[in-house]
Amino acid sequence: MSLKVTDVVVRRGVGPVISGVSLEVHQGSITTIVGPNGAGKTSLLESLSGIIPIASGGLEIDGQEISTLSRRQRSLLGLKHVEQGRMIFPSLTVRENLTLTARSKADFDEAMSLFPELEKRIDSPTVLLSGGEQQMVVLARTFAARPRYIMIDEMSLGLAPVVFLRLVPVIQGIAQSGVGVLLVEQFAHLALRAATDALVVTSGKVSYHGPAQELLADEALLRNAYLGQ
Amino acid sequence: MNIIIALAVGFSSGALYALIGVGLTLMSVLTRVINFSLVAVGVFGAYLSIRTSPLIAGASLDVQTVITVVVAVLVAALISGILGWIEATWLSEATTTARSAVTVASLLMLISLSFILFGSQPQPLRPLLIGPAFLIGDVAVTKVGVAMLVAALVVGILTWIVVNRTPLGIRLRAVSDRQTAAELLGVNVKGLQVGVWMVVGGVMGLCASIIGNTAAADATSMITLVIPGTAAALVGAFKNIPLTIVGGLVVGALQGALTAFPSTTQLRDWIPILVIVLFLLWNQRKEVWDVAR
Repeated sequence: MSLKVTDVVVRRGVGPVISGVSLEVHQGSITTIVGPNGAGKTSLLESLSGIIPIASGGLEIDGQEISTLSRRQRSLLGLKHVEQGRMIFPSLTVRENLTLTARSKADFDEAMSLFPELEKRIDSPTVLLSGGEQQMVVLARTFAARPRYIMIDEMSLGLAPVVFLRLVPVIQGIAQSGVGVLLVEQFAHLALRAATDALVVTSGKVSYHGPAQELLADEALLRNAYLGQ
Repeated sequence: MNIIIALAVGFSSGALYALIGVGLTLMSVLTRVINFSLVAVGVFGAYLSIRTSPLIAGASLDVQTVITVVVAVLVAALISGILGWIEATWLSEATTTARSAVTVASLLMLISLSFILFGSQPQPLRPLLIGPAFLIGDVAVTKVGVAMLVAALVVGILTWIVVNRTPLGIRLRAVSDRQTAAELLGVNVKGLQVGVWMVVGGVMGLCASIIGNTAAADATSMITLVIPGTAAALVGAFKNIPLTIVGGLVVGALQGALTAFPSTTQLRDWIPILVIVLFLLWNQRKEVWDVAR
């Protein structure tokens, strides 16, 4: 049971921004993608969820080819994409954000239990929440949808490190519940510490693919991978 | 007395503008489009429904009327749904300006089709509501005016209930806030948007059936009602339904007031344009010169 990406090429404008990227995310594991700004990490996630088309290559979810499906169809098959920039629905309250995706009260309650601090703001419009609380809503809302795989793009963007540290254990908990997590993150060390597998993407190509701990332990390897060497 | 009569006349028109404005506001909020073809769709539905007359000639007059109205509503909803499907399929990521520009093309297409199919003469629509609803002194308030105002209020209230009190409303608001994010969560964005187009189109089909025999019911006269409707929607900033209804009534009242004096009657058609220009100027009052340029 995995999310399998094979030789994916993504084009924006005239040229490719992702060239021949392959990876596999197993249910219950966290795979982290790190890399310098402009490497193509966000484009890769957007192509996997269907926001932009995949030019060539394969995308399978538990053995089913989904690269030609719409973004909604991919979502209904259990592939959820948490976009960067805390994409809350501003006019919806916390409760309504979760109601949108939860199929049952049990799903709603389980998602809320990830972030008990949201309880006191449950009927507040999400536009009034702090950045950290908004990110919690986005994660809880996605988890309430019972995903099989979650792709999370730059969760830490615009957040204080202490807030990010609060979110990392939640991501690990989500993975332990059987969800495959693909995490794109700028805080490389923190993200790698939480992950089992890691990819370093530079200039649209994979310069490292292997155990996250190995990359974390070898500073030279990480630096060289970032430089594309 | 003349001015009171004129205001009563203005009330009927204003209630119609309010209903059209409410439809425009709904579409703007829920589907990110200023639908200039809104009234044209309703008129087209009403005109096509007349073609069913030979098929139902044996039925009683009441049954014929009901069937004609139902056909008008269904045809308008269908045409509107097709236009909505086109927008949701090929223009889902386009800006509001681009999406709205496409409705101008739809409007022109419907106008030309209307000329081809029905000519330039008013069509014999069945009278649904005739005469005054009540009198204020010597002044008659027409049934059509009351029906339009009631329809605008009912549509506004029902919309508020659906949007704020139902799971469907949560989906609609999510799509209105962030379409792509909603789609990534599995919300059926296209289905919801087409649904909104169909419902509003159906309401316009009903509206055209009611007003079709009351005034100069040629296609162009009715279709251009979208201009005062837009003025009403602008008063509510394409967001606020109660203000839109008030805006429609005010535009109608101003037009009515002008008809009280022979020297100003000709200016009544300027009122919606004046309201639109004033609103746009007011809306840009805080713009920095270089930014607004």
